[in-house]
Amino acid sequence: MKLSYSQIQGIVNKTDFSNYPKLHLLVLRNIMLEPIEPYYKYFAYQMGFDAHVRFGEYDNIYQEVVGRQPGLFHQDITCVIVFMKLETMSPDLSTNFTKLSTSDIHNELERIKGYIDAVLNSIREQSDAIILWHGFEMPVYPELGVLDGQSEHSHAATVGELNRLLQQSLRRYKNAYFVDMNLCMARLGAGSFYDRRYWHIGRAPYSREALCEIASEDFKYLRALKGKNRKCLVVDCDNTLWGGIIGEDGLEGIKMGKTYPGSQYYEFQQEIVNLYHRGVIITLCSKNNEEDVLEVFRKHPDMVLKEEHIAAAQINWEDKASNLRRLADDLNIGLSSMVLLDDSEFEINLVREMLPEVAIIHLPAGRAFEYRNILASCGLFDTLTITDEDKRRATSYRAESSRKKLQTQATDMVRYYRSLEMVVEIRLADDFSIPRIAQLTQKTNQFNLTTRRYSDADIKTMAENNNVDVFYIALKDRFGDSGIVGVCILRYAGDEALVDIFLLSCRVLGRGVEDVFLIQALKLARKKGCRAVLGEYLPTIKNAQVENFYAQRGFVEIATSGAGSGKRFRYEISGGIQPEPNFFQNIISDI
Amino acid sequence: MEKRPEMKERVFKVISQVMNVPIDQISEDSSPDNIAQWDSLKHMNLILALEEEFGVEFTDEQIVEMTNVRLILSVLLSGARRRMKLS
Repeated sequence: MKLSYSQIQGIVNKTDFSNYPKLHLLVLRNIMLEPIEPYYKYFAYQMGFDAHVRFGEYDNIYQEVVGRQPGLFHQDITCVIVFMKLETMSPDLSTNFTKLSTSDIHNELERIKGYIDAVLNSIREQSDAIILWHGFEMPVYPELGVLDGQSEHSHAATVGELNRLLQQSLRRYKNAYFVDMNLCMARLGAGSFYDRRYWHIGRAPYSREALCEIASEDFKYLRALKGKNRKCLVVDCDNTLWGGIIGEDGLEGIKMGKTYPGSQYYEFQQEIVNLYHRGVIITLCSKNNEEDVLEVFRKHPDMVLKEEHIAAAQINWEDKASNLRRLADDLNIGLSSMVLLDDSEFEINLVREMLPEVAIIHLPAGRAFEYRNILASCGLFDTLTITDEDKRRATSYRAESSRKKLQTQATDMVRYYRSLEMVVEIRLADDFSIPRIAQLTQKTNQFNLTTRRYSDADIKTMAENNNVDVFYIALKDRFGDSGIVGVCILRYAGDEALVDIFLLSCRVLGRGVEDVFLIQALKLARKKGCRAVLGEYLPTIKNAQVENFYAQRGFVEIATSGAGSGKRFRYEISGGIQPEPNFFQNIISDI
Repeated sequence: MEKRPEMKERVFKVISQVMNVPIDQISEDSSPDNIAQWDSLKHMNLILALEEEFGVEFTDEQIVEMTNVRLILSVLLSGARRRMKLS
């Protein structure tokens, strides 16, 4: 969710910062910059800090620093942030360039370098704080026009030279860093970066978007220097590492490769591998059959991310919060070191609610072309050094990783389910729902007890048959309407009901929908006068996860008649039917 | 065009958040003269927040003129220029 400028100010105003460590920022500048303060405070708040921002006087950097203004560098200052804009620093270089001779340019460069060195030196004499110095911005329209690129002492090259000199000076000091304003500008485009109105009204050059980008860039440094950067990336698989669902689409069906549409995921995986080489621990967390996912890693020819990059994995059908805890435990790292990358709003909200320490990057559905940039822009893993140790780290974590048991936190889960505000509807098939019901029988592979495929016409015939009931379950929650997500078909014979189809879309598993649906099926059978319900499990290569579904819900396994590797189960209705889970907001039913 | 009462409510909310003043202390007569936090720097924050809230871009002259709530409302109602959508 993107917050507006006034909303972030509202959040910062309302937050009680009394338990937050303080972050004192001193901004020295030769431009007006005060509207950046809410962004600094907000990013600090996200990092768990209470930022106090103090601005030096407008265009007084030299006087304040070299003139040693009393009280400017008090001992608590965390970071000195310098904005020295060329327009104020050197009107000649910025707006009178064409009239300058080569020696004029040289002299002006020398003057500015002397100024920078004097300020830097004097800051260091008075303070050990982090220094973030914002570089000079390239002229968007060089004064020589297209000739600029042809000449030796071009306008653009002169600004480039200034940045080189600045970087050279900064490297001589510990804890002093160059912030590349040209990167910030390039990301937004110069047209959106500057706000010419406020430049003229009050010498404030940057747009609101630019201030946000600049503050966000500065906090990448502060996060790294304060040890708040993240060390472990937890990646989902389906519709994240590749397009599609491996359990449904199969190895040949998923989108992954060098050409469109797989290229979107190929590029994204490259970025993950880049993080691996920067020392980030890469792990997998996916609701899937482990063999299916491993098959992709081992057999898919275009995978950039390989098994050897993965330090640990949790691939199963349990909730992601428990799996993240397990990963943290396996690797012996804190949850506050982890970043979850996932496309599912359901999973993201579960983790956000249950494990707020975990940082989350949401990959919006249908925008896979942006995934690489979303990951690259987050800055959560940024460091200011890469050591050989970092490069080895991922490997050593992989070696240490071991599996430990962790109990699921049942009470937390119920509270979470309640917060979803789930409403289910159980309805008998009608003309509107028949196409979707047939489609689900054809498409669903994983949570499907019998995997019988039916056409629209088959379903219609069964729906009209007095000895058969075809019904579905639809789900709505606070994130939206999922529509029809499950199908059940009961065939009645004597005083028994046979479950011909019981299936659910895997998007909705692990939140009680399957339980409420099965209980409703039992109730329908009871209403029809049945004494028992018979369930079958017919194994396929995809549906291992439901092998014990009936057994875990009070059905008793009975001997199978005839050949085949299936299992049969029986539920005695006279033994009672347990009530539906109590965490649904509403259960609307035809039954 | 948006009705004045709804717009007023949104403007009050933005001012309350930017100036950190309870919303019930804001009226059409609010201005830098009676809201202590509303100085020329906070005015800049307010303009940026209003432009984002209403998806508009004020001219430099409007920015300088919009020095109280009544004037802000009248500029917004007279139809500030819609901001060009880039993305």
